[in-house]
Amino acid sequence: MMKLLDISKKYGEITHKYPFEPYKVAENFRGKPAYIYDLCIGCAACGVACPSNAITVQLNENKSKLIWEFDCGRCIFCGRCDEVCPTGAIKLSEEFELAVKFDKSAMIQRGELEVQCCSECGKPFSAKRLVKYSLECLSKANLGEKRLEEAKSYVSVCPTCKKTATVANFTAGKEMVIE
Amino acid sequence: MKCDKFIEALGQRVKILEVTRQYEDQVTALVELNDLPEAVRFLYYDMGGYLSTMIPNDERSINKHYALYYALSMEGGKMFEGDEIAQDEKCFVTVKVLISPESLVFPSVTPLVPACVWYEREAYDMFGLIAEGLPDKRRLVLSDDWPDNLFPLRKDAMDYRYRPDMKEHYMEPEYDFLRPEGSGIIDVPLGPLHITADEPGHFRLYCDGDTIIDADYRLFYQHRGMEKLAENRMNYDQMGYLAERVCGICGYAHAIACIEAAEKAINLEIPARAQAIRIVCSEIERLHSHLLNIGLACEVTGNYNAFMHIFRIREYSMKLAELVTGGRKTYGNVVMGGLRRDMTGHEIKESLRILHIIETQVEEVWDAVMDDQRQMKRWKGVGILDKQVARDFSPVGPNIRGSGIKRDTRYDHPYDFFKQVKFDVAVVEGGDVFAREMVRYMELKSSVSIIRQCFELMPQTAIIVDPKFHVKPENYSLAYVEAPRGENVHWIMQGSAQKVYRWRCRAATYNNWPSLRFQFRGNTIADAALIVCSLDPCYSCTERVTVVDVRSKKSKILTHNDLKAFSQTLKNSPMKDLK
Repeated sequence: MMKLLDISKKYGEITHKYPFEPYKVAENFRGKPAYIYDLCIGCAACGVACPSNAITVQLNENKSKLIWEFDCGRCIFCGRCDEVCPTGAIKLSEEFELAVKFDKSAMIQRGELEVQCCSECGKPFSAKRLVKYSLECLSKANLGEKRLEEAKSYVSVCPTCKKTATVANFTAGKEMVIE
Repeated sequence: MKCDKFIEALGQRVKILEVTRQYEDQVTALVELNDLPEAVRFLYYDMGGYLSTMIPNDERSINKHYALYYALSMEGGKMFEGDEIAQDEKCFVTVKVLISPESLVFPSVTPLVPACVWYEREAYDMFGLIAEGLPDKRRLVLSDDWPDNLFPLRKDAMDYRYRPDMKEHYMEPEYDFLRPEGSGIIDVPLGPLHITADEPGHFRLYCDGDTIIDADYRLFYQHRGMEKLAENRMNYDQMGYLAERVCGICGYAHAIACIEAAEKAINLEIPARAQAIRIVCSEIERLHSHLLNIGLACEVTGNYNAFMHIFRIREYSMKLAELVTGGRKTYGNVVMGGLRRDMTGHEIKESLRILHIIETQVEEVWDAVMDDQRQMKRWKGVGILDKQVARDFSPVGPNIRGSGIKRDTRYDHPYDFFKQVKFDVAVVEGGDVFAREMVRYMELKSSVSIIRQCFELMPQTAIIVDPKFHVKPENYSLAYVEAPRGENVHWIMQGSAQKVYRWRCRAATYNNWPSLRFQFRGNTIADAALIVCSLDPCYSCTERVTVVDVRSKKSKILTHNDLKAFSQTLKNSPMKDLK
């Protein structure tokens, strides 16, 4: 019994002053994923990787905007979104104070991105930034001038139209020539 | 090869229809339905097996039958010195039977091997398979108002999102507690809800005066249906994260067990460095879990001073987890094929520093606790788990090691890096709370040494192999991990399209519960919470007491405030209108 009191004396006060002074977390702490809107291209890699469906990327109701949405209440802080993001738009931060007062919608973070409409059918299929990003990547990929021009028209066609075009070409006996 | 000896011996007893090998140390023998009890009993008692898990499975789409798998860990009875199977012959033997969907009946093994009781009760709840001859046929997992003919784990039973209508509180059927005969026996319920208990469980203690004569309990208030969830919509990437959330304390052990079951089913070997770091993380988990439990064992007996000191040290182990995995709990690290996060030299150096602090300070506080005679008197001789009861019910972890049985998965079936690490299995004779806490203290020390050895021995390899694997439908395998509370066993049968067909997750405490009844007997009500705590599952307090007078058949519920008011003023006894 007395021994325990001696131990108390030896180590003194060990509690942190938190919340009156900040609590320092470890260097590689996995806190709340921080979202940088300006870097997001709407590729939905994070949404696919997220095991708990905390991140969703989908078109809004009238299909005018691509909505990136993060529900902190569902997040398990595994950091898979951080791993897969090609532009570093989502990174785990050191933030761990996530409580909200009564209003659960405060846990939801949202980003609206401009949609790219298909040049063939006119339906929205992706984000404008993603198309721009793909072109940027291609232009750095050491392609020929002509090929790049082709790609420019190609990237703004939606997957459905690409499929129908391929099928139409194929059944008509046209060969696709890639130079 | 391993296991052949046991299969041969079993073959002389009963007729074996088919033998299949899942892994180096895992073999399944298909036997006739009527031979099932004898086959399991023979392996359990005559060949020295312990029941690891039992898996009922709906295989109607595969072979038009239901199947039962009794997985036995063959390691020797361990009841006396030398009663143990040679280290290189230890293995898992699974006894499989097929049950026709028309009859749904199988002969119960429980009368011969008591350890099967919970598994066979669960088989009825989940699949509607009836164990003929099972002495205790009450519900186990599902709530009492669950519809009678709905068996959730049957493949055609229900969508995983379906929730049957709840009955109104007063309409709910009464759970039939096993009540001992005799006059003057008082029921004392503990639980099911208490703010400080991490799991709700309802314990019905039958007391004569202050002494507990017998006890019965109802658990699974928090049954979450994870197995159903995983079968329906998860892929292997998500499953590891779901498995982690089985438990708030030993989550990492569940993640490893689950992922390794999937890896073993396709014979995937992970890099040595990943193996070592998996061990490091699971040992960190053991550090904080054992510190938590020793702390709580002090707290339940009123020793708050020691409790605070132990939790102060526990904070270092949480720091260690934060350093190694990036979160205060060791979550989100395991994926199929290896790990997601490596350790840098700096992190290892810092970890060693923290380990040193933990090691010295734990010793200091433990010495002080051991010197405290009042504390020792509360621990010694309380909640004794008899060695023979332990043999019959296959408990795991510190619970069985405190009864002098040397059973540790890390030692019996070394997995991952444990083949290269040296450590002593902590075994203490006595079977009381003190013995169990002593085991935990000894394991704290061995954990520290295991982590150090891992740091020293781990090679510089990759931490993940390219996950180019093809799952083979209908392959199944067993994985086992020694979690802080004992052996966790996961069984996975793979389905098509990267999904699981059946996932059976058996947490350590599942095997520890059935023998708790014997541990209660003969102790006082004041020790009930301590006994439950020493199992390391959850503990409950007498926040709300129902007093039943057996003679006048009246009952009254006393609230915490009633009791408090009465004990402060000693006026207006809440018992008086009962008399």
